[in-house]
Amino acid sequence: MTLIELENVWKRYGREWVLRDISLSVDAGEVVALLGPNGVGKTTLLRVAATLTRPQKGTVRLFGKPARRIDAERGELLYLANPPAFYRHLSGEENLQSSLQLMGKPVLDGEIEAAMRAVGLAPGKPVSAYSSGMKKRLTMARIRLLKPKVLLLDEPETALDAEGREMLLALIDEVKRGGAVLLATHDREFARAVADREVVMRP
Amino acid sequence: MKRILVLALRDLRIEFRGRSGLLSALFFLGVVLLILGFALGPEENDLRRAAPGVLWVALAFAGSLLAGRVWAVEVENGTLDDLLLTPGSREWIYWGKFLFLWVLLLLVALVLLFMVAGMFYLPLDRAPGLFLTLILGATGYAAVATFYAGIVVRLSTAQLVLPILVFTVVVPVILAAVRATVGLAEGAAMAEVASWWKFLAAFDLIYLTACSLLFPFVIEG
Repeated sequence: MTLIELENVWKRYGREWVLRDISLSVDAGEVVALLGPNGVGKTTLLRVAATLTRPQKGTVRLFGKPARRIDAERGELLYLANPPAFYRHLSGEENLQSSLQLMGKPVLDGEIEAAMRAVGLAPGKPVSAYSSGMKKRLTMARIRLLKPKVLLLDEPETALDAEGREMLLALIDEVKRGGAVLLATHDREFARAVADREVVMRP
Repeated sequence: MKRILVLALRDLRIEFRGRSGLLSALFFLGVVLLILGFALGPEENDLRRAAPGVLWVALAFAGSLLAGRVWAVEVENGTLDDLLLTPGSREWIYWGKFLFLWVLLLLVALVLLFMVAGMFYLPLDRAPGLFLTLILGATGYAAVATFYAGIVVRLSTAQLVLPILVFTVVVPVILAAVRATVGLAEGAAMAEVASWWKFLAAFDLIYLTACSLLFPFVIEG
């Protein structure tokens, strides 16, 4: 089943076209990596696929439905921006708890702490005290907890150490079983390690 | 309903930990009351007559500072996208943010009420009526401010544009609230005050309904 489908998508900011006639699909069980130089439109493409940005032309389908018609399915979709977005006055576990509750998912006893420990984070610290790498690890904890079917990742490997990268590769592999992953990266080596298919975008 | 409460409580927790919005609103209130107190002079009768207007002018301006906080937490942390990607229709986001602003406004209004009573001799012998007026006024103000703050959230000039938009629409609420407060302060008949309360309640109902229904369309990027 095709979980992400973009057909003849055109997107411009002001007068400048960022995406021109882009078509792309990602099936369940597939990881697709978007490669290309800065400013080529990788993040815009991810945002269009996440329904956060409306294209001027073309169609976007998620879970086999027109993107504007998905409502309940948004709970199965996770878009993680770069840099990661968290409430800095809240602790890591408070951020995860809020995320689960707002996504309408049950919060089980000890589940959040276990997810944090699994990615090498100790609970208790406010996110304002996190390094960039720790924030990336917290996004991994979020993926573990939310278990999305469609995962959209913007430069997920940046700021991660070798151990963090290994964890990320394993996690993407886990989501891939039954789900679809579309990610943007500058790192060819990482793309080769994680993706079933690479799509190179050119200016 | 649960998600509305989770969102409002989370925002309140962030606001109390950050303290910037609430403290600046309270500081602003102190300055406004001090300036108006000096301008009106020491005469008790003058101060008493001006008290209802002072209460609502100060609350309206402090409210415009607080209205900016409704979405600031999402913009500062880059989390607006996460909120928009939550499942289901987006009306609940409006209600969660409305509740957050409403609670903040009421807290500030309560502090303000006692400050005005102390400095401007606003009589508190009809305190339940004053509380009801504050609740109805804060509801209308928060209904409008939450909506317009959502419209301008992505603008770099949001802090400048927001008060202009809000004040334009919210003037009837402020006027009705001032009239109800004047009635209570001057010992007017309850029927007269109640007519202003009815006006405020009708405004609140209309704006809460319209704003929550329109909100999902205006918050989309």
